Amino acid sequence: MRPLADTPALRPTETALALKLVSEMNLLRLKTIARLHARGLPPDIGWDDLLQEALTRVLTGARRIPGGIAPVAFIAGIMRSLRSEHWKRFGAARRRRVSSGSHRRYPTPELEGREAAPDPEHSLIAAEELQAIERLFADDPVALRIIDALGEGLAAEQIRATLSLTKTEYDSARKRIRRCLLREGLTCRPK
Amino acid sequence: MPPKVIQVFPETALERILEALERELIEASDADILEAAHDLGMKPEMKGSAAFLGLRYPDMRRPEDYFDRQWMLRVLSDPRRIWLAPKEPTES
Repeated sequence: MRPLADTPALRPTETALALKLVSEMNLLRLKTIARLHARGLPPDIGWDDLLQEALTRVLTGARRIPGGIAPVAFIAGIMRSLRSEHWKRFGAARRRRVSSGSHRRYPTPELEGREAAPDPEHSLIAAEELQAIERLFADDPVALRIIDALGEGLAAEQIRATLSLTKTEYDSARKRIRRCLLREGLTCRPK
Repeated sequence: MPPKVIQVFPETALERILEALERELIEASDADILEAAHDLGMKPEMKGSAAFLGLRYPDMRRPEDYFDRQWMLRVLSDPRRIWLAPKEPTES
């Protein structure tokens, strides 16, 4: 019998491929999405951790893909929720650190409200990531303006109207954005 | 002057942007992916393409991935290996 240590174990990405849960192209698509969602997370949480964890949840049955939903969209959603889980845990840990201080606490409604205020460290990291995204599209002012508008929560039609873009100009800028993100996401350079 | 994103809380803006860009990537066609890969000199259609780094192959290779473990142990414990060691720097 072969010793267990010598038996190569398939990782979730390889298992997902072997089980035809995703195709090779979809795996590359998921890689670029994972690289996107890893933005601003601590260095010990890599894009591959996000992707492997999301696939593990599907493979173990912890998350079931509902009928009619594309596996890529579902797995991308799991990665998004893993990202948001991280920030929730981060915020809770910070609140515990603050509340365990030696100062006396006066739980007034104003202070309770402050608990829900944005975390300064989270804001700082997010601002740095926004700057990194701006740098990514620094040579493309139209793309940059579209991304600004997305950050403000505008929908496609509102963006086109606000920026006075024709449908062709808007679609062409979106294509450039997609191409740039794919190029960035396919590499394994540090975030 | 480039327009600035930060009109709302940066984390809110970032999450909105990431969600919108995620949709762009979900909708990207196979041809888009292949074009982007070819821009980088990658050939995803070929076995062993760098595009699959971190997916089918780990990012970091260990010596055991290239060399037989028993062979490495023999080489590392071979007393003649001392000849391969660099010279100690001499003090001037």
